[in-house]
Parts: sequence; C-alpha cells; structure tokens
Amino acid sequence: MTIDTQPSDADLIAGSLAEPGLFTAVFDRHSAGILRYVYARLGPELAEDVTAETFLAAFRCRGRYDGAWPDARPWLYGIAVRQIRRHRRVEARRLRLLRSALADGPAEDHSDRVVERVTAARLGPRLAAVLAELPRQDRELLLLFAWAELSYAEAAAALGTTASAVKARLHRIRVRMRRELGGSNPMDEENGDE
Amino acid sequence: MSELKALRDMRPAVPQAELEAMRMTARERFVAGTRARRWRRLPLLAGGLTAAVAVIGAAALVLTGPGAVPGQHDRGGHTRTVVTAAWTVREDAGGAVTIYLRQYTDPAGLQQTLRADGVDAIVHPGLYVPWPLIVGGMPLPPLQLGYPVCYYAATGLAPQAVQRAVVTFMHRQGLPARLIIHPDAMPHGSALFMDFLAGRPRDPKNGNTGVWAWPPVVLTNDRLPACGGPQS
Repeated sequence: MTIDTQPSDADLIAGSLAEPGLFTAVFDRHSAGILRYVYARLGPELAEDVTAETFLAAFRCRGRYDGAWPDARPWLYGIAVRQIRRHRRVEARRLRLLRSALADGPAEDHSDRVVERVTAARLGPRLAAVLAELPRQDRELLLLFAWAELSYAEAAAALGTTASAVKARLHRIRVRMRRELGGSNPMDEENGDE
Repeated sequence: MSELKALRDMRPAVPQAELEAMRMTARERFVAGTRARRWRRLPLLAGGLTAAVAVIGAAALVLTGPGAVPGQHDRGGHTRTVVTAAWTVREDAGGAVTIYLRQYTDPAGLQQTLRADGVDAIVHPGLYVPWPLIVGGMPLPPLQLGYPVCYYAATGLAPQAVQRAVVTFMHRQGLPARLIIHPDAMPHGSALFMDFLAGRPRDPKNGNTGVWAWPPVVLTNDRLPACGGPQS
C-alpha cells in the first residue's frame, strides 16, 4: 500500500489563497515542463518571460481554479497557450527557422533508432511547413498533444472543450497533415501513437 | 513512425545546461511579481539609514533608488540575455538593461557584459562610499563596515535627477537584487559605478555571496573614483 503524502496541486492552490507562498510549490513542480513547451514554441528569447507570465497569470486567477482537477497541468498549459498567442509573429518566425534548420539536415545523433531518425529528418521540414499553415486553434491542440504530451482529456481541459471534441478535431488535423505530407507515411507502422 | 511521432521528435529542446538557469530566472520574475505590492521605495542617498546599517550587518547594503517602480516588469521583446550562475543581464528591445544579481561575484564579467549592452559601466572590486556621506540631508560619520572602505568625493556623482533617470534599484531580503539601467539617460562621458566585494560574507537566507557598500550610482566621468576622505 502506498500512501501519497504529497499535497496535490489543487491542495496547494487552495492553500495559496490563504498563504500565497504555497503557490511557489506549484511553480517548482511544473515550471520545467511549461518552460520546455514555451521554449519549443517561441524560442529562448521569450521562454523565461512567458513562463513567468504564465505562472503570474495563474497566481492571479487561482481563486477560480477547479479543485476537481488534482493535477494543475492542463490549467497551466491552457494559460500558457493564451500567453503564447500574444506572440504570434515570434512563433511564425520560429516555425520558419525550424523549417530551415530541419531542411539543413538532422543534428548529430548517435542513437540506434536509425529508421526513425531518417524518417523524422525527411518529414521534419514538411511538418514544420504544415504546422505553420494550420489554423491557430488546430496548431495549439496538436502541439499540446505532441509537444506537451497532454492526453485528450487534459488537452480538452486546457482548451476549455470536451475530450470527444478534442479527439474528433485531432483526427481531422491528422488527416489534413497526412494529405499535405503527400499521402500516408510508409514508415507509419500503426496510426495510434496516442 | 507516424506524423505525430515525427512531430514529437522535432520538438526544439532546451539544452539541459540552460534549462535550470532559465527556470531560475523565470522563478525570480514570478516570485517578484507575486510580491510586487510589497516593494518599498527608499530614496537613494537619503533616509533609511537605520535599515541600511542593519542590512550591512547581514550581508550587503541595499537601498532602493528613488526612480524605482514597484512591481514594474519588462514584458518580452528583449534582445539579449546573458545568464551566469551569479547574475543575469537582459537588454530589452527598448534599450533598458535589467540586471538580476544572485551572487556578488565576477565583477569583471559583469562589467564586460554591461559594456557590451551599451552601459558604460565600472564594476570594481572593493567597497566604495561617496564622501561626505549625507543621508536624509544629514552628514554622517564614517561607516563601520568591518571591511576596508574607499571613500571618494561625492562631487563626482551625477545630479540626483540623472541618478533617478538612469538607475532603478530594487532589493528585497531573500530575492536577488534587481536593477534596471537606462543607458540612454546617461550623460555623455558618464559611467555607471558599482562597487563589488566578492566572495564574503555569505548570507544564509538568500545564498548571496559578497557585499556592496553602496547602490550603483552614475559618475560624472568614466574613471574609477580616487580614494580620499576618512579611513581610506
């Protein structure tokens, strides 16, 4: 039998209403993940700022946190997504850079996953291009799923929608991506990564 | 491999060495933001002596410049950031330079970084105090800091209006000192002067090492002040 003595995020957030310093523990738990996500989307120039602003925004509206969610990740990613929206031009530039960088060839990699690496290198520039052309809402959902690695339910909570709606939208996005990538991917062993 | 797997693999990753430094800076900004209302404003070279002397005893003399804007945050758009274990220097798109000081070490590196950001800075090892020392309009006797102090002529300081326009200095116990410098407001030929005694003592509460004798000031010229006055 395992006894979890760690307070949940919901506990910390509720406690922070009386003792604001408790919210720092929420930052310490989740800031690395949020920072990685923001970094991936906006790059190093804004990663610190947007991460700090995300947690400040969360801190200010912590009174409205839904305590039914013990894990605050979906809530925090939802706030991060809204903060990232304020930097659309930076993200567009970032995606152009990513496309160029991927087109220049894969980075040095000594892993033995040769097939996957070659495939990723081949798909990379095209994927970056498709990503840049997706409607904003679709890109946000796709990247919450692929880069933040949220589940359907978590992505739905982050974006304020339902898991079934997320699933349907994600399916539509993937169909579009495959079409724009030139048909089915021969390396695709099975379609259900999720 | 599906397109989702490929998408995951192409996610730009933060170099591990940078992650902690970036996270630490974000944490400082977050914590400072949550406490923004608690920032206090103390006039530079005026008032607050009791508090100042108390802080000297703990680790460093910290005062807040008269131009301090409590809770002010530069939001994004910065053009250059240099992060070391001791400090972070960010040059904003508007030209302002923000310094977060976690440890009072590496004055030479800090000086070099500030100069690269357009701040004509002198960051010099040692404890420097302007003389005569006038706080709240009252001349004071020499400070008993327990370290050798260089007293230099206060006539070498730029006018208060210039100090206010150039330097915003905020510090709160337990948080890194934060300075915002506006190089554009510095008169031609002037320099930002920061004294910097590295390595001692250690403040157990915030982990800082080293001390300052006085908050950063703007000198009327760009030469290291000559020591003179009492106990120099």
